[in-house]
Amino acid sequence: MGSQRIIGGGLGLSEAGPSTHHHHHVPSYGVLHGINSANPSTLINEGHAFNFGELEEAIVLQGVKARNDEGKAPLFTTAPRPAATLEMFPSWPIRFHQTSRGGSKSGGESTDSALSTKTEPPLEAESPMSKKATTPSSLDHQHHLQHDHHDASRIVGPSSSSQNQSQAKSPHEKRKGAGSTSEKPLDAKAYVQQLESSRLKLTQLEQDLQRARSQGLFMDCGGVGGNLSSGGAMFDMEYGRWLEEEQRLMGELRNGVQAAVSEGEMRGIVDGYLSHYDELFRLKSVAAKSDVFHLINGMWTSQAERCFLWIGGFKPSDLITMLIQQLEPLAEQQIMGMYGLRHSSQQAEDALSQGLDQLQQSLVDTIAGGPIVDGVQQMVVAMGKLANLEGFVRQADNLRQQTLHQLCRLLTVRQAARCFIVIGEYYGRLRALSSLWASRPRETLMSDDNSCQTTTDLQMVHPSHHQNHFPSF
Amino acid sequence: MVGVGVDPLERIERLASENAVVIFSISSCCMCHAIKRLFCGMGVNPAVHELDEDPLGKDLERALIRLLGTSSVVPVVFIGGKLIGTMDRVMACHINGTLVPLLKEAGALWL
Repeated sequence: MGSQRIIGGGLGLSEAGPSTHHHHHVPSYGVLHGINSANPSTLINEGHAFNFGELEEAIVLQGVKARNDEGKAPLFTTAPRPAATLEMFPSWPIRFHQTSRGGSKSGGESTDSALSTKTEPPLEAESPMSKKATTPSSLDHQHHLQHDHHDASRIVGPSSSSQNQSQAKSPHEKRKGAGSTSEKPLDAKAYVQQLESSRLKLTQLEQDLQRARSQGLFMDCGGVGGNLSSGGAMFDMEYGRWLEEEQRLMGELRNGVQAAVSEGEMRGIVDGYLSHYDELFRLKSVAAKSDVFHLINGMWTSQAERCFLWIGGFKPSDLITMLIQQLEPLAEQQIMGMYGLRHSSQQAEDALSQGLDQLQQSLVDTIAGGPIVDGVQQMVVAMGKLANLEGFVRQADNLRQQTLHQLCRLLTVRQAARCFIVIGEYYGRLRALSSLWASRPRETLMSDDNSCQTTTDLQMVHPSHHQNHFPSF
Repeated sequence: MVGVGVDPLERIERLASENAVVIFSISSCCMCHAIKRLFCGMGVNPAVHELDEDPLGKDLERALIRLLGTSSVVPVVFIGGKLIGTMDRVMACHINGTLVPLLKEAGALWL
């Protein structure tokens, strides 16, 4: 998914030379060192859903960078640059970075003494390796490319063996393994991988946080996520990933239009984008069950989008009005269809708004209470009425979903592609506007520091993100 | 008049066929209010049957739950005697353009 985009970029970077690598790598380290409060071990234990796509992306980037830096081709994450990990093992010979597994040979013995300094005990050798082995083919492909550069005595990479990494023994391992049991080098390997994956997970979480910040989510709150429930926080994370995938699909749409791909292929891309929106509505329906207020008050969206919020999302009729203007050359029948869709949507929106008004009024009446106020009973009744909010958000999302599907039916495949590009760019610009607004220079010195940092962070973390927002600039 | 022995489902069918547009509702339900506003906004005059104002409303509600297979059953809409569904379905039909032809066919709309 998102990782393939970056891996493609990673392959491109490998040709550009070390300086580009270095520049590209600075952000992640900047982010890593910028946020010191997070304790790695607590993050490891948090049990968040972990995106292996981004893990492998980071691994590949490091692998490619190391290859360029050293002129050799290590198969795995053991570049000298991630000093945080390797400096922990000063007795580890230089040769460490040349091996794919690190410590499988002579490096193995020296790790034992350093193990006690880590907070995390070494894992079962199976789990991290088997996880690495089952990552998607893009990672395998990368390793196969690099594998060609190796001489045959090198240890095989994770891609070329199956799940039972711990039992696979290359001839090299068997030769050098004299005196050390099969357990020791594997524990060290697994341990280092555990460290690497934890560090990458930390970076990943920090990037998520940065992304959320750059979207202006936390900009106006005093504390980060002060009132955020776990359901709301979970949705925000998922929404962040949804946005990344949406950017990727936008790229596909643009390529499809520019390259004038076949109708069938275009249909596939358009359907993919539509399905992605279906996925968003599914995520929202789950979030509505746990924290409907989070959706309704729009804290998950950017500030500019929040401005136009209608029952937890965009207003379909407004979107159609915008589209009618932007998709100028349309057939008469299609224009009539669009106007008709806007009309139906307005009627449905009015109905839902009136229903919501009645709910509000009913709630106010309940909370204000009559002449005799019965506290507990009053709250029980009020809670019952509040529960209806979820229904309204669901119906509003249903309306949004139906509108998007109907748009697809009204338009030809290429028009639908253009339509989705317009929609994607429109919301992208609203988000960019929100970021810029949040990071605008302000009067006080304190704010200036914040805004400077924000701007820098924005530039560091999401250069491509902003490129997508202003393609015409 | 309706006796106690009448099968609720039969009663629903009978009520549904009495008017072009029939809505089974609960007077305090806000979503029901929304759907009534929707039809009125379109110029349709639906026949509304408030289950909480019917002495046998509970039976009717249970029958509707069985008919629809969902627990959140109101509002339920019948057009021309045929079951359309709840708010989800009605909105989907309106957006995809099938609601208006149905209403015209049932004689609820003239234009």
